[in-house]
Amino acid sequence: MSKYDLPKKFDHKDIDILKPFITETGKIIPARVTGVSASNQRKITKSIKIARFLALLPYTDMHQ
Amino acid sequence: MKKYEAVIILNPNLSSKVDEFKKDFDKLLTDNSFKILKTEDVGRRQLAYSITNHNKGHYILFNLEGDPSKLLEIETKIKYNESIIRHLFLVVKVHNGEDSSLLIESKSKKPETVEIEEKKEAKTEKPKIAEEDSPKEAEESKKEGDDNE
Repeated sequence: MSKYDLPKKFDHKDIDILKPFITETGKIIPARVTGVSASNQRKITKSIKIARFLALLPYTDMHQ
Repeated sequence: MKKYEAVIILNPNLSSKVDEFKKDFDKLLTDNSFKILKTEDVGRRQLAYSITNHNKGHYILFNLEGDPSKLLEIETKIKYNESIIRHLFLVVKVHNGEDSSLLIESKSKKPETVEIEEKKEAKTEKPKIAEEDSPKEAEESKKEGDDNE
């Protein structure tokens, strides 16, 4: 029933899958809004944070 | 022995010397009894934010297998290598044998740029046709005007 296409395994390199879970300003959208299960939300959060470190996703829209 | 997934972001100005860097880096890994199972050269990519005043980075992905105690030695060497602007070693349970989405994206992007160029050319052609059409229309309208008179 989820509106997101979730894979079995989350990867920090799959930016297209992670992008719907961050706002325009780069924040991670809370599970209460996304409606994703708690276990999936934890995995998503972890991979978003790794992707940010690798400059694949922004921390904020205020960079530079 | 542990399985690792490594991501290394190189200075984009050294993109042409990637092969040399790869040789050196492979040597560094193999000297420390690391097995290289797979390498993916993603190429230059736009960074989401600038790292040490670089807006682009050359991404290289590795699938490795090796001893955790030796990893420290590798990381200290990476620290003093100025051509690496960022690196990350992740422990994984199982290696994903498939190509990463980054590599697929970089491969698929190259034909896209060609398509965009073609589209631009097509767009530039269209106005010319319109210009050619417009004088005819103007003539026609003149004729109509004549008829009305």
